[in-house]
Amino acid sequence: MDKKVLRRIKGRDRLARYVITIGGMAIIASVILILLMIGNVTLPLFQQPTAESLATITLDASPGRTAPLAVDVDEYLETAVTFSADGVFAFYATNSGALIETIPVAPPESPTAIPTQVTVDAPMTFSILWSDGSLSEEQIRFVPQFDPQGQRTFLRQRLRKASFPPPREGMPLQSLARVASDRQVRVDLLADNRLKVSQVVIETDIFDNEERAEHTTFLTDANSAITALTLDSQGLALYAGTANGTLLHWNLAEAGTPKLMSKVSALNDNQRITALAMILGDISLVAGDEQGRLSSWFPVRLEKNATEKRLTRIHRLAKHDSAITAIIQSRRDKTLASLDAEGVIHLDHMTSERHLLSLDSPQPINQIALAPRGNGLIGLDAHGQLQLWSINNPHPEISLKSLFAKVWYESYDEPALVWQSSSGSDDFEPKFSLTPLIFGTLKGTFYAMLFAIPIALYGAIYISQFGSSRLRQWVKPAVEVMAAIPSVVIGFLAALWLAPKLEKAVPALFLSVIFIPVALVLAIFLWQWLRRYRPLKTVERGYEFIAIAPVLLLAIAAAIVLGPIAEHWFFAGDFKLWLFNEAGHRYDPRNSIVIAFALGFAVIPIIFTIAEDALSNVPASLKAASLALGASRWQTVWRVILPSASPGIFAGIMIGLGRAIGETMIVLMATGNTPIIDLSIFNGMRPLSSNIAVEIPEAPFGGTLYRVLFLSAVILFVLTFCLNTVAEVVRQRLRKKYGRF
Amino acid sequence: MNKYWREGEPMVWATGAALALTLMIAATLIIVVMVNGLGVFWPADLTLVTLKNGNQVLGEVVQREATASGEGERLQFKIGNRDLYGLDFAWIDEADIEKTQKPKTAMVLERMEHGNFYGTLQNVSAPGLNGHSPQALKQLMAQAAEKTKSLEAFDEQIAELNRRTAKLEHQKQKLFHDSPEKNQDAIATLDRQIETIRGEFEQLMTRQDAASAELHQYTATFSDASGTDKMIAAAEIVRYYQPNDMNVFEKGFLYLARVVELFIGEPRESNTEGGLFPAIFGTVMLIFLMSMFSFPLGVIAAIYLREYAKDGTVVRLVRIAVNNLAGIPSIVYGIFGLGFFVYGIGSGLDQFLFPERLPNPTFGTGGILWASLTLALLTVPVVIVATEEALGAIPAGIREGSLALGSTKFQSLVRILLPMASPGIMTGLILAMARAAGEVAPLMITGVVKLAPALPLDGTFPFLHLDRKFMHLGFHIYDIAFQSPNVEAAKPMVYVTTLLLVLIVLLMSSVAIYLRNKMKKRYTYGTF
Amino acid sequence: MNEQPNTGATPAIDARKVNFYYGNSQALHNISLSFPHRQVTALIGPSGCGKSTFLRCLNRMNDLVDGARVEGQILLGDTDINSAAMDVIELRRRVGMVFQKSNPFPKSIYENVIYGLRIAGVKDPRVLDAAVETSLKGAALWDEVKDRLQQSALGMSGGQQQRLCIARAIAVNPEVILMDEPCSALDPKSTARVEELIGELRQNYTIIIVTHNMQQAARVSDHTAFLYEGLLVEHGLTKKIFMKPKNKQTEDYITGRFG
Repeated sequence: MDKKVLRRIKGRDRLARYVITIGGMAIIASVILILLMIGNVTLPLFQQPTAESLATITLDASPGRTAPLAVDVDEYLETAVTFSADGVFAFYATNSGALIETIPVAPPESPTAIPTQVTVDAPMTFSILWSDGSLSEEQIRFVPQFDPQGQRTFLRQRLRKASFPPPREGMPLQSLARVASDRQVRVDLLADNRLKVSQVVIETDIFDNEERAEHTTFLTDANSAITALTLDSQGLALYAGTANGTLLHWNLAEAGTPKLMSKVSALNDNQRITALAMILGDISLVAGDEQGRLSSWFPVRLEKNATEKRLTRIHRLAKHDSAITAIIQSRRDKTLASLDAEGVIHLDHMTSERHLLSLDSPQPINQIALAPRGNGLIGLDAHGQLQLWSINNPHPEISLKSLFAKVWYESYDEPALVWQSSSGSDDFEPKFSLTPLIFGTLKGTFYAMLFAIPIALYGAIYISQFGSSRLRQWVKPAVEVMAAIPSVVIGFLAALWLAPKLEKAVPALFLSVIFIPVALVLAIFLWQWLRRYRPLKTVERGYEFIAIAPVLLLAIAAAIVLGPIAEHWFFAGDFKLWLFNEAGHRYDPRNSIVIAFALGFAVIPIIFTIAEDALSNVPASLKAASLALGASRWQTVWRVILPSASPGIFAGIMIGLGRAIGETMIVLMATGNTPIIDLSIFNGMRPLSSNIAVEIPEAPFGGTLYRVLFLSAVILFVLTFCLNTVAEVVRQRLRKKYGRF
Repeated sequence: MNKYWREGEPMVWATGAALALTLMIAATLIIVVMVNGLGVFWPADLTLVTLKNGNQVLGEVVQREATASGEGERLQFKIGNRDLYGLDFAWIDEADIEKTQKPKTAMVLERMEHGNFYGTLQNVSAPGLNGHSPQALKQLMAQAAEKTKSLEAFDEQIAELNRRTAKLEHQKQKLFHDSPEKNQDAIATLDRQIETIRGEFEQLMTRQDAASAELHQYTATFSDASGTDKMIAAAEIVRYYQPNDMNVFEKGFLYLARVVELFIGEPRESNTEGGLFPAIFGTVMLIFLMSMFSFPLGVIAAIYLREYAKDGTVVRLVRIAVNNLAGIPSIVYGIFGLGFFVYGIGSGLDQFLFPERLPNPTFGTGGILWASLTLALLTVPVVIVATEEALGAIPAGIREGSLALGSTKFQSLVRILLPMASPGIMTGLILAMARAAGEVAPLMITGVVKLAPALPLDGTFPFLHLDRKFMHLGFHIYDIAFQSPNVEAAKPMVYVTTLLLVLIVLLMSSVAIYLRNKMKKRYTYGTF
Repeated sequence: MNEQPNTGATPAIDARKVNFYYGNSQALHNISLSFPHRQVTALIGPSGCGKSTFLRCLNRMNDLVDGARVEGQILLGDTDINSAAMDVIELRRRVGMVFQKSNPFPKSIYENVIYGLRIAGVKDPRVLDAAVETSLKGAALWDEVKDRLQQSALGMSGGQQQRLCIARAIAVNPEVILMDEPCSALDPKSTARVEELIGELRQNYTIIIVTHNMQQAARVSDHTAFLYEGLLVEHGLTKKIFMKPKNKQTEDYITGRFG
């Protein structure tokens, strides 16, 4: 052989081997790997949040400067703010630690007054209690400006939003204030344990004339020393905690007539409540006590249909080692930061009850503030230094519990499994329970399989064992072609053709469930008589089903004709009304029956084909042996063929199950897509698959919803992968047993 | 008798019943689609009923059913004239009907907007044309059609200007992104060019407006059943006919004309009327692109698995995994396509290739490329499995025979094995294509839209726009059946689309199954 | 180990101390056997004795089997076929093979015959035409198929297919032809044709044939080797082996007492 030719073909062979091996391995690896990447998207959901120390800032030590009463940080974590007891706001650049600017604040009333207490009510909003008892609400604003070089700088402005005169009853122990466009509220805890509520209601008429109405009330409901106070962000609800562990809740919505809503003993061991704060959304209250325990509360109806609501403990959060001194709400979600007497900071998420972080600084912290975006935390330590942390806390609301177990959501009367991913407002508590969706998947699959398995298996048995071989040549491909009918077509017909028809004919459906077997039995009796006639007997050689078809059609037709009559007799003429009145179920036109038919129809060809393959591959010798022993054809099938083919049949069912679980368009179109847990066949469902299709267009990239949807895809993937693997392994065994398949 | 039961003969009949039921359900599905889909384009007669209270209703009888009280029947009329009545359908109790007629002069107008109009021609008005006969209407339509043609010429010119502007704007964006100061002069030049084009554009617009105003002088007045007059511009009328005055051949001709429109026309009335061309085109192109990816990848992977990989545990596991991938729900592939292709690769490409357009995404959003890649991923296992099976079915003797003659593995593969396996591979590919044609869920999140402004393939450079969104028959069904404002009026179009899709898919899979069965027979020679 | 039959010439293939393993199990034990030029050697023995394995060692068809390993020397001329000096492609062109089941490619008769030439890059139609005629004549098939060369090879009868495979093998002009039970799937008439053909082929080729059929071995071969459980039990001139085998096992096998 020509050496040149040999070299050339060998070279080509090597090249091909190289290309195909590398290419093939790469393709297979990438197909498998990229699917694993779905899992990768979901991983951040379960990552523990992290905090990183960004800066330690030494405070301005110029003469006359005193220790800060309050600290805060802007949303870009660029500027830290302190307000010190000498009445000065000081701004520090967090990257350099340098003092940028100071802005002094003049007292609102007596010029000699100095600040005594400061609370941060909202980002960059400080309410200052002065030594003369007056209170002012000061806001810092950052006005962005661009210099000629296009660099962004900020102009810092201080704005007094409101001021309140000193109370006549003397210097209060603690004061809170809220300022809104139409009302101003000040609450003072007086030395005699009374609460003074001063409300100013501002009414503006169409000519812009302001009318101010002042109301003052004293609240004396507390039977023990009040130790903690908080107001909601609008000043409409007041909460107090006492030294003996009682929580009080007043409604301040009616100016001048505060109403005590609840008074509950929160802690059965009469511990002192040391800190209170509202959670974003103004529904939940978080209480901390001197033992370091943290719990969240909101008013709940005690009994069904009762109008009265009482403060109830909803969530317990991770315990501190010492008394809680401050609780700070996040402005982004239901996260809260809490500080204890030892200076340890906890970050917790209320809904998921997840303990996100514990922050330990070398020096104990005694003042904290959360950045407006929840991505940073600033604290003042015992050495008078500011500590700034950046916090990476993308998905605090997700925990295994919030995904799968019952969670007590805000405004619910009891813990529940709810999927509600979004709502109009920003302070909405997202509800990411996958359980109703998994339930929906299982429910739809269950009813579909209930319909599909018997029909597909019986059909496969008939065509593989009893049907004539000529028939088989046509029926088998026909069923295989059925498998190719797009699910969007099945879904459309189920929703817009079947569902309206079924809605009118539910009793007919029930009747046909009875009529079909009865008609079948009657037909068999009739057949006994008919089969005496020779020519008819040929039907028994594999054409029975053709003879049966008219019987089925007759039975169904009879059911449809008699349906309205049955409805008249049993259901007083209107089945849906009867169902609602008698059984308390609503009839949803796109319900499980429709799904059973539609999804079942999609699955039948799959089970049918695989089961048929398994059955017809049972060696003919087995069948012959059984028949030779005098067994009837059904006995042979039941006792010999079915057991031999059972692994293949099992595999078919598994693969059909996998298809039913993952089917999207049919359920998307033919169910109401309501994520509820209800076994009723007259109700719809929302399975994992259609949930993804419904929600993913609304899910921002990288957000919690986005990742949770990927997680549901992972669940679907794992479910179907397991089912298919089981089926595949079983099939390979069978293949080994019977040679081919 | 007793023996008959004991031997389980009734059970045989029960299995037969199950098969009969399966086939009956399938037949029902096909029949429902056929009946509803095939009849849509047949011009139905118009019925004019006079009610006992003196009112008249003109429309097509859609269906009849028993009334709610159970006595007598009621008829559903498609009364059209959406702009006059606000609804398309009306139910009329048969008991209320005084008189039923089929007037020969009753006319159906298919319009660009507001659906059909049912009524009678009153008069025709156009410059130099006046009359009230159908001939006059014919003349009017002919003249209007000419005017429309000249208007379309304007449209083309305007589109060309738009394209040029967009190109210049993009260049400007690029320069601006690069450095606004350095490219000041170039940007200014571009601005001037854009300004010039804008001038031309405005001139054209004025001329087009004039032409359009002229066209709108060609109108005809019709009156509905209750005698209300409605003036309709000729440009609004797509087609008109008098069904009660047509014989079967004329109707058949109209039927064909509508079928042709279905294939080549653009959709109207939020997709519920008109043609399906963009959806058909999108589907075909999607399948084509998908095959370009999945076919070579699948075949190479299968050849590797079957011919080159060492048969061990790893290969067995891989094989099980690949078989399994074919059973993974399509929505999982869809969400993967979104996360990996669109947000992963697409956004990366944008950073790299089109940074000047950001934050407007080019590839970082759904498009036909990503949709077809997602589908390719979904169908690769199908192709792998089919190719592997086809290669595996070739008797070992053939392989040995070839090698024993001194051929290399690659030569055996190319000259003997692949040709022998080709029917099997084709079957796999066709099955994959059929699956891709019917798959909707993954497309919904990777780039299919209800109305795409432009086809992914057209005459402007670079001709193939892989970043564009596209339309798809399957999604079309979902969209018009569930998202259109008037589901009842949209139904005919849904059925037609369904029929088309079912026909395509069934045809493809029938061919695949036929091929496979034929191949099975051919291979039996190996075992004598 | 065994007496080497005196052939007088250098052998076409000389196997020296061949051991063969499938993974961990040894299939051939220390077999030394030489095949003289232009003579027919039959390998006989009961099923699973290793005769096919040994045959497949001779053109390295066992390379295709995962985990297969050969020890010892197999010399084709002067070169060890398992050494780097011998290319497997080259080897298989020099040592052709005919299989138990006829395995024509699903191509025309013509293309089947010239397959070996085509893959070697021969394109000249005159050369190819000539090769087809010579090979088919050599395989005694020319007269039967000369009018339907372009028809599919799959349409031929079983015996014809097997002779086509032989023609295909000789088209590349090998030195040695290995035959692995070439007649086991054929009817007696076709078998007779193939045996006749082997008789003609020995003029030009060294033939090694594995067979189950004692009569066939006796009819067609010059030398016979009896293998049992991977061991070469006896080897010698066919006449000698069949008339007076030295070994008891050989005698039992030949007389049909086992196997």
